[in-house]
Amino acid sequence: MYRDTGLCGYWNEDKLVGIRNHVAILGLSPFCSQAVKLISDEIAGTIPLPQLHGRNELGENLERFNNSMLNLALNPNIHSLLVVGYEPKTTLNFLNEFKRKSKKPVDYVILLENGGMIETVKSGAKKALEMMVNASEIKKEPINLRDLTVGVKCGGSDATSGIVSNPATGKVVDRIIDEGGTVIFSETTEIIGAEHILKKRAANETVARKIVEAAMGNEDLARKAGIDLVGINPVPDNIAGGISTIEEKSLGAIMKSGSRKIVDVIGYAEIPHGKGLYFMDSPSAAHEVLTALSAAGSQLVLFSTGTGNPSGGPGITPVVKITGNPRTASSMYDHIDVNISQVISHEINIEEAADYLYLTMIKIVNGKLTRGEILKNWDFSPVPTGL
Amino acid sequence: MILGKNDNVAIAVADLNEGEKLYVENTEIILKNSIKFGHKFAIKLIRKGESVVKYGEIIGVANVDIVAGELVHVQNIDSLKGVRHV
Repeated sequence: MYRDTGLCGYWNEDKLVGIRNHVAILGLSPFCSQAVKLISDEIAGTIPLPQLHGRNELGENLERFNNSMLNLALNPNIHSLLVVGYEPKTTLNFLNEFKRKSKKPVDYVILLENGGMIETVKSGAKKALEMMVNASEIKKEPINLRDLTVGVKCGGSDATSGIVSNPATGKVVDRIIDEGGTVIFSETTEIIGAEHILKKRAANETVARKIVEAAMGNEDLARKAGIDLVGINPVPDNIAGGISTIEEKSLGAIMKSGSRKIVDVIGYAEIPHGKGLYFMDSPSAAHEVLTALSAAGSQLVLFSTGTGNPSGGPGITPVVKITGNPRTASSMYDHIDVNISQVISHEINIEEAADYLYLTMIKIVNGKLTRGEILKNWDFSPVPTGL
Repeated sequence: MILGKNDNVAIAVADLNEGEKLYVENTEIILKNSIKFGHKFAIKLIRKGESVVKYGEIIGVANVDIVAGELVHVQNIDSLKGVRHV
């Protein structure tokens, strides 16, 4: 078995470990998205976080939006942050909140105050340039698996997800937990029909109740909205891949969470309060989950796919795409980081597949790029409420 | 491939043709349909109303009698969780 000697990462100003050392350009309003993209185009190596939401949000949506954006900015893979706001009030509020929680370098530009797009981009680019110069000085230092939070996600599931890529991911999750690390899995619609299994893995009665309530909450939401849950999940590509019912999808999906105790249930984009395995109550669509996992502090995400879901998340967190489907490994080759489809042809067993995944994960922690990072296949969305 | 104890379905790990003979747990099964890679077929008679079992867990219920060798998918099983009629 591969031993993880020599893990390296970046200790940032918050005394947290990043496996990347990004300068992120975060838009706080959809009006700033073009400025965010232009600044990032000009300053090589920066990660653009252009915004789709944030105007006229109310109540729970507003709270969710604010929390998600703040927590995303706090992600340990971000070395320094340039905020691009539309108007002063919300921008400065965001900055104050950020500074209350983080010592990381941060600066801002405001579209209405800097004199429109061109001046905002000019001013922002100057600030981002200095941030890149400073971030690039930082040396990697030794880290441990226990310093990491790893998100797990499955998307574009088919029959191979439940047989190969999810079980292999689950075995790696067990190793991370055994080394003292933190893992978050989520997708509440995809525990429906498998709650009885997860319940048994809950650390205590309260956690067991929270798991069941999360699943029941989703069923209630569907019922109240008059939505046919069967119509949403499994989705057409799941059905084409051989998955017939939501229970079947869920039983395959939960394998990615391994076998260890679930220490607590957290909300959308919430940062875990300790180490161990957490379940996040969240919708299931890939970009929304990846946004939430990044915001929760994941430095890395293991993403198991059958049919080849290309979602890359917000760009600050490397997303490792794993498939057990030999066709997907070739048809979506430019998205697949870990091909373990040889399990299907019995050339390797699931333990060997997990070893290979673990080894690749360690390399990616140490700086090997994912295909998604190279393709800049980024998308993010702090979702309102939903399934 | 059979994934759990008490499973009454098997997973095709290659595209299989209608009429193909397979031996599943020493019993001969003749496929009643073509079964695509990743899809399921019954390895024994599953009567209407009986549970469909994969991974050793219930994944749904048969809405018609399903004979051994028949494709098991959305056309002949229902979820117990979905809100099909609202």
